[in-house]
Amino acid sequence: MSQTSHDSHRIGRRSLLAGGATLFAARAAHAQKRFEGQRITYVSWGGAYQDGQKKAYCDPFSEATGLRIDQDGPTDYAKLRLMVGSGRVVWDVVDVGAAFMHGAEQQNLFEKLDYSVIDRSRIDPRYVTECGVGNIVFSYNLAYSTERFTADNHPRVWADFWDLQRFPGKRMLNASAPSTIEVALLADGVAPDKLYPLDIPRALRKLDQIKDNILWWETNSQSQQILVSGAATMGMINNGRVYDSVQKGAKLALSWEQAIQSVDYLVIPRGSRNIAAATALIDYVTRPEPQAEFANLMVFSPTNREAFRLIRPELQEWLATNPAYADKVVLQDGLYWRDNLDAVNRRWTAWRLT
Amino acid sequence: MTAARLWRWAAWVLTAVIAVYLVAPMAIVVIISFSDSALLTFPPPGLSLRWYRSLADTPAWRDAILVSLEIMVITAAIATALGTAAAIGLASWRGPLAVAVRSLLMAPLVVPHIISGAAIFLLFDSWGWVGSMHALVFGHTALALPYVVATVGAALETYDRRLDQAALTLGASPRVAFLRITLPLISPGILAGLLFAAMLSFDELIVSLFLSTPQLRTVTVLMWSNVFGDINPEISAIATVILLVSMTLLALQWVLSRRRGPSVMPGLGR
Amino acid sequence: MAVVFALPVGALLMRSASDPVWGLQNFRSLWEEPVYASLIRNTVQISLATTIGCILLAYPFAHVMATQPRLTRLLTLVVLIPFWSSILVRSFAWMVLLQNNGIINESLLWLGVIGQPLELIFNRTGVLIGMVHVLLPFVVFPLYGSIRAMDPALMPAAACLGAGPVRAFLRVQLPLTLPGLATGAVLVFVMALGFFITPALLGGRRDAVIARMIQLQVSQLGDWGMAATLSLVLLVATLLLLGASQLLVRSPARRVAE
Repeated sequence: MSQTSHDSHRIGRRSLLAGGATLFAARAAHAQKRFEGQRITYVSWGGAYQDGQKKAYCDPFSEATGLRIDQDGPTDYAKLRLMVGSGRVVWDVVDVGAAFMHGAEQQNLFEKLDYSVIDRSRIDPRYVTECGVGNIVFSYNLAYSTERFTADNHPRVWADFWDLQRFPGKRMLNASAPSTIEVALLADGVAPDKLYPLDIPRALRKLDQIKDNILWWETNSQSQQILVSGAATMGMINNGRVYDSVQKGAKLALSWEQAIQSVDYLVIPRGSRNIAAATALIDYVTRPEPQAEFANLMVFSPTNREAFRLIRPELQEWLATNPAYADKVVLQDGLYWRDNLDAVNRRWTAWRLT
Repeated sequence: MTAARLWRWAAWVLTAVIAVYLVAPMAIVVIISFSDSALLTFPPPGLSLRWYRSLADTPAWRDAILVSLEIMVITAAIATALGTAAAIGLASWRGPLAVAVRSLLMAPLVVPHIISGAAIFLLFDSWGWVGSMHALVFGHTALALPYVVATVGAALETYDRRLDQAALTLGASPRVAFLRITLPLISPGILAGLLFAAMLSFDELIVSLFLSTPQLRTVTVLMWSNVFGDINPEISAIATVILLVSMTLLALQWVLSRRRGPSVMPGLGR
Repeated sequence: MAVVFALPVGALLMRSASDPVWGLQNFRSLWEEPVYASLIRNTVQISLATTIGCILLAYPFAHVMATQPRLTRLLTLVVLIPFWSSILVRSFAWMVLLQNNGIINESLLWLGVIGQPLELIFNRTGVLIGMVHVLLPFVVFPLYGSIRAMDPALMPAAACLGAGPVRAFLRVQLPLTLPGLATGAVLVFVMALGFFITPALLGGRRDAVIARMIQLQVSQLGDWGMAATLSLVLLVATLLLLGASQLLVRSPARRVAE
């Protein structure tokens, strides 16, 4: 990953970061609990994911500032749109996916973030936009069954995924266009830096070659079930899902070659009545400590590179922003998808129906 | 008579096959709920009660099941009462206006739930109702009404209207004729409507997602929120518990109704 | 209640002509983009197949349920079982049963009935198996009511008069139970039009449906105009179809169940 350096900023900040949360807490306590008596609502994807964020992001921030943070969820884009449209906004900080973030940002659904409060230099600039700060990164990897393929002869790149002779068996892909189109083009030999704008007809022709051997997943849990049950021998799947399965005893492994990276962002819906507190919380999440804490709990990759110092060593190989994978992974172009999702989706659906 | 017997045999065998088809997936779910693995694999590598224990340790699930059951019962009651009244009214009403009203009542079946959900959310949000029990009940009732209207309507069409007229001729008041003749005869339709309303409410996700808050969540919403994070046999344990509770309630109702006489369940006690 | 529902939904459906600007642009793109018509056709095909499947299974089931009082309770329980578990759990169970190395295929292979595993899931077969499973009660109960309401002496009478069982069924029982059957079939057909989670989880590449497209337009794209247009077309098409089917069935009384 070619991370733009902010050395001048960072050296000064590093000494501060070294103190970690304790120092931060101490400073905040000094300021007489900045948000005592205030409350905001934090919204994320529910389940263990949101529990982890509450523990890593919200609880320490509440402790330090006196801000009361209510949890709501799961994130529902339609509900968020209606809320902003009606002006009765009860959500203050929301965890949203990249495709939605870019589109909704253009549609003026979010508050512009105050970067004099949020220190954006802590985050890889590719993960920060006018209205959204990337809090986690995940990737879609090529994962395969270690029962069906050996350690020295297993699929590594997407071209292998297309090779039905060398690697027989059913494959599994995402049923929606984003990331599946990219993968088809990579398999067809398109260089990662020449990927966008996507050549849709070429990708669909490539998919035609193996379409009868593909199972399509629609939800993350389904992708996990299909691989774990052995219905498919390899597939495109969220890296965290493979980690979860392997922890529970599944015989799976994943390749980092040509993995497609995507980002989740924290945003403030337009019309929030607690912008100051919400902004301060987002700033806190850019720090290495909460990011590392969340990675340690849920194995979602941090956007702040400094966090790696604080992440348990055995988890680091599972993380999409691990510097060791920087020249292997491809960051999905959110702006391309913002401008083309509607049109590509229509062509994609037409292709599915043929 | 051999042809008739063959015919009957075929119906029996088919019914048995269909019964297996209906029960098989649930049997798998029940078996997996006793798995000792955190993966959803079949057959389970070993047996344990750990998912029931983890269920008992998570009060959110218990709360959600109670909320879902409460909404289901109230929704089924209101939808059945309103829907039956509407069907009876419509049965004797002709003309273009009746057609319009009928179509209106059927619309929630056809309009995608995300559209209905968005509309209901906007309305209830402007009244400050979001996150309240009555919002969920009214939302579900609107969706459940067409089922009741349809099933009661069909029952009204099947039964022999001359029976009503006979009762009236024999000096029964319209009210008595309705209660003694019409109602018992269309009761299978009403009960089917009641069941459908209950089923719809209990299984509903989209509208519930719009109207729920962390303090008031249905089982479907809680399951949906869990999908992003973790998937393990816990959800099969929930399904098994719900199955057990519902079976017990139905069985209890049967035992009680047998003692009281005419049953409330379809076709029983007759 | 109808008003509570109708007004806000009507207002949202109005957006088909007002979002993003007033005009018929959404209807025009519906016309110009063949994918919408294909999607609607695909959805209708899936719904029709589901409805036919439900009718075929519901008839013998409801018949036994209505004519064998001792089995009524048991069969009622059985037909209600699918709905007590959520679609997420159910779809996993179907995977266990239907996939290539699943229980059904393994058993059939072991018995030597088949030489190759059957493709039972992640295609149209899987979608129909899953959808008929959940929607079956919606035909069984109205049909059960109709069969119960029949005069039990009619079928023996037909037999006495020399009608074979098939003839007696077609001439006597079927016409008399048609209202119940039609109610159930209409409910199933219309509900199936709105299903998208089951086709997504059990289907394959070709099992794309219109409700999923509408959901994507609302959530991801915020395109209320196009979503409302598609919903409106779905609504009008269904009402027309139901009107036509009513004429075909030619029931003497007005059917409330359109």
